[in-house]
Amino acid sequence: MAQHKVNYLANGGAPIVLTSIDKFINFGRSNSLWPLTYGLACCAIEMMATGASRYDFDRFGTIFRASPRQADVIVIAGTLTKKHAEFMRRLYDQMPDPKWVISMGSCANTGGMFNTYATVQGADRIVPVDIYLPGCAPRPETLQYALMMLQKKIRREPASKAMKRKRLV
Amino acid sequence: MRAYSPKQDVQKKAYYNDRFHVVPQVPRANVETNEQFLADVNALKEKFNVLDAYLEKGHLVLYVEPKNNVKVVTFLKEKLSYDMMMELSAIDYIATRGGFEIFYEMLSLNKHKRIRVKCFVEEKEELQSVESVFKMANWSEREMYDMYGINIINHHNLKRILMPDDWYDYPLRKTYPLQGDEAAAWYEVDKIFGKEAREAIGPEIRDAAAIDRYDTTRFSRLGHEVPYGADITNGKEPEHTPLAYQEEGGVKLFGVRLIKELHEDKSVELKKRR
Amino acid sequence: MQQVNRLKPFFENINFEREDNTMVVNFGPQHPSAHGQLRLILELQGEEIVKAVPAIGYLHRGMEKMGENMMYNEFLPTTDRMDYIAATSNNYGFALAVEKLLDIEAPRRAEIIRTMLLELNRIISHLFWLATHALDVGAMSIFLYTFREREFAMDLMEDYCGARLTHSAVRIGGVPLDLPQNWCDDLLKFTDNLNKEIDNYEGLLTENRIWRMRLENVGIISPEMAKSWGCSGVALRGSGFKWDLRKEMPYGIYPELDFEIPYSTSCDSYGRYKCYMQEMRESMKILKQLIPLYKESEPQLMAHAPEYVSAPKEDIMTQNYSLMQHFVLVTQGMKPPKGEIYVATESPKGELGYMIVSDGTPYAYKMKLRAPSFWHTGILEDLLPGHQLADVVTIIGNLNVVFGEIDR
Repeated sequence: MAQHKVNYLANGGAPIVLTSIDKFINFGRSNSLWPLTYGLACCAIEMMATGASRYDFDRFGTIFRASPRQADVIVIAGTLTKKHAEFMRRLYDQMPDPKWVISMGSCANTGGMFNTYATVQGADRIVPVDIYLPGCAPRPETLQYALMMLQKKIRREPASKAMKRKRLV
Repeated sequence: MRAYSPKQDVQKKAYYNDRFHVVPQVPRANVETNEQFLADVNALKEKFNVLDAYLEKGHLVLYVEPKNNVKVVTFLKEKLSYDMMMELSAIDYIATRGGFEIFYEMLSLNKHKRIRVKCFVEEKEELQSVESVFKMANWSEREMYDMYGINIINHHNLKRILMPDDWYDYPLRKTYPLQGDEAAAWYEVDKIFGKEAREAIGPEIRDAAAIDRYDTTRFSRLGHEVPYGADITNGKEPEHTPLAYQEEGGVKLFGVRLIKELHEDKSVELKKRR
Repeated sequence: MQQVNRLKPFFENINFEREDNTMVVNFGPQHPSAHGQLRLILELQGEEIVKAVPAIGYLHRGMEKMGENMMYNEFLPTTDRMDYIAATSNNYGFALAVEKLLDIEAPRRAEIIRTMLLELNRIISHLFWLATHALDVGAMSIFLYTFREREFAMDLMEDYCGARLTHSAVRIGGVPLDLPQNWCDDLLKFTDNLNKEIDNYEGLLTENRIWRMRLENVGIISPEMAKSWGCSGVALRGSGFKWDLRKEMPYGIYPELDFEIPYSTSCDSYGRYKCYMQEMRESMKILKQLIPLYKESEPQLMAHAPEYVSAPKEDIMTQNYSLMQHFVLVTQGMKPPKGEIYVATESPKGELGYMIVSDGTPYAYKMKLRAPSFWHTGILEDLLPGHQLADVVTIIGNLNVVFGEIDR
């Protein structure tokens, strides 16, 4: 995880009152999150297993999209290396707002067991992450739980906040 | 003054060495014990200068001069039917012997035997590429160059293969630390955001045991959640918040229930397809 | 106000103004075909490929350097992440290499359990191969069917060692755990079920007109090219060589087992596909033979070599010297003899080799991991020109490459 010198409480930590329009839009957004197919390493296999028949990911309304322009959420599944970091940021920038990031597995959270020269120590050095999933590799049920947490998080935000440009990292 | 740490080999070493421990050596047998290998070594000795030859764990290990490497490998492939090269790489002996020991691991499909051809090159000495003999050397020598910086000539495309093209220094050398040097530490930040973002993002956290148990902005303990940024340093255990997959009572809008509430105990097992 | 980052959009990879009218397309490190991070820079003349340059290294995590900085037992879970689809085969190759270096032999029951896990991993890997290959070629329902079978196999692995994907199920000197109570019965049920299911998959694909048209005469690896590029495993067997390390240079308990090696003389993708399907059946045959062998073996799980291998847990918890020795082995590490060793085993992808150079200290001096997929990706440079763009996906899928291995 990164030790950012970024002020997280800049927009105030006060509780938010949601209007009905917000709730409706958030309901729509949270129940049809389209992830980007972004499997990097071993966690990708567990992500594919989540999408397969036993742990059906499709019942959350997710459809894996290949193009970042059509995706809502990016599940960083696997080790992010320094060679690949540039492309990861490029893909994240190509996604249209509102977008969210789930960092899956220890390698994406903090660099994991690979405390070496070629691994980015956490995807949150590059992109702002919403949900961190621990595990190596996390079970498919963990990924489903993380998605439900993300859905809860989306439903708590006012609808316009999701469209505002996120902080850089 | 800070303590002196030798820079020639910065890999991890055992912190305790038993004073009376004598390290055994893997047993090496004479080549004469195996007729197949004896015939091969004799055929080689007629043409080339074989510095040393012995059997180790079922492999024949041969030492040749680096200027002969292509010719030896070609001879082994064509005349002695060692027709596959399985592995080629280098071992870093810069600190102790001043160079690299290159090894070529070859396999004979007909004879079911493996042979290891080794040669010693100085750190900056040129080494001929065996790409013309075995195509697998195309990528293997690129990897050898990328990881060790060995000067290979007559290779058609000697570029870095595993590290990014503009990486500094050769990672597998003993002088390169496991966690990377200064250029490696900021590589991705410089590439994407530029040098100005270094302070905002902060240095890499390489300490695997760094845990801040009172950090409530980036962590929340499942089952004992507290509001964002709350202060829990007073020593009291936060209250138990039961695990909830969804909001309490489901999601409602205008009194209409949009999403059903999840009850784990009310789940239904489908025994028959509808 | 946040600054925009330095990355500018670039179009260097799509270039239409060349005189010879070829188009350069970047098959980038992220693409939906599930093979990982391969970047192929293709030069296309219409739909046909003129030049292909594969670029790898997007998953290089520095495992070889980690091997120089970790003790031998500590490094074992890292080998899991190389070929992450069949993790125990990497663990076993490493454990076998270190055991040969130390000159110790795992006891019989441990060898039997290891072989069972290896063959189960082979089935898991081939099912995954079939799933992703069929998904790329277009037969998407096979993905869901094979993942269903794969879930049953991963249930078996989870019953044994607790992990679905990254097992670390073997140790240097043997295995840490014995099989659970009903594991053998579950295994028999699984193999019977799988036999029927493989018949289904073959029925769906083998005589399918579309499948045959997409796979026949595509990706022809001639025997000389296969030998020159260091291909191993099915890539070599699909070109007519009946070479399988389990039969030709056997290790472990394979000399006692009775199984066939499928090979194909048509050097194209269809031949390799048939090899893979037949290999799954052979693995099931092996598993069935191993169960009676397990039942009549003595219950010793780890080798007795106090210098290198810890005592069993019951002894550690009760005997003082066992505890002391275990402590020293875990904190300071075992000191193997000085020397080098190269040991190769037949992983589902090909010949997986470990070259360990030891200088007598607990940390290896050099650990070279010979991954079969490294050269199977290199061969794309020679293999792809002449094929159509749609064949690229078929060939990459057919060659069964895993990027954890390639980049290490």
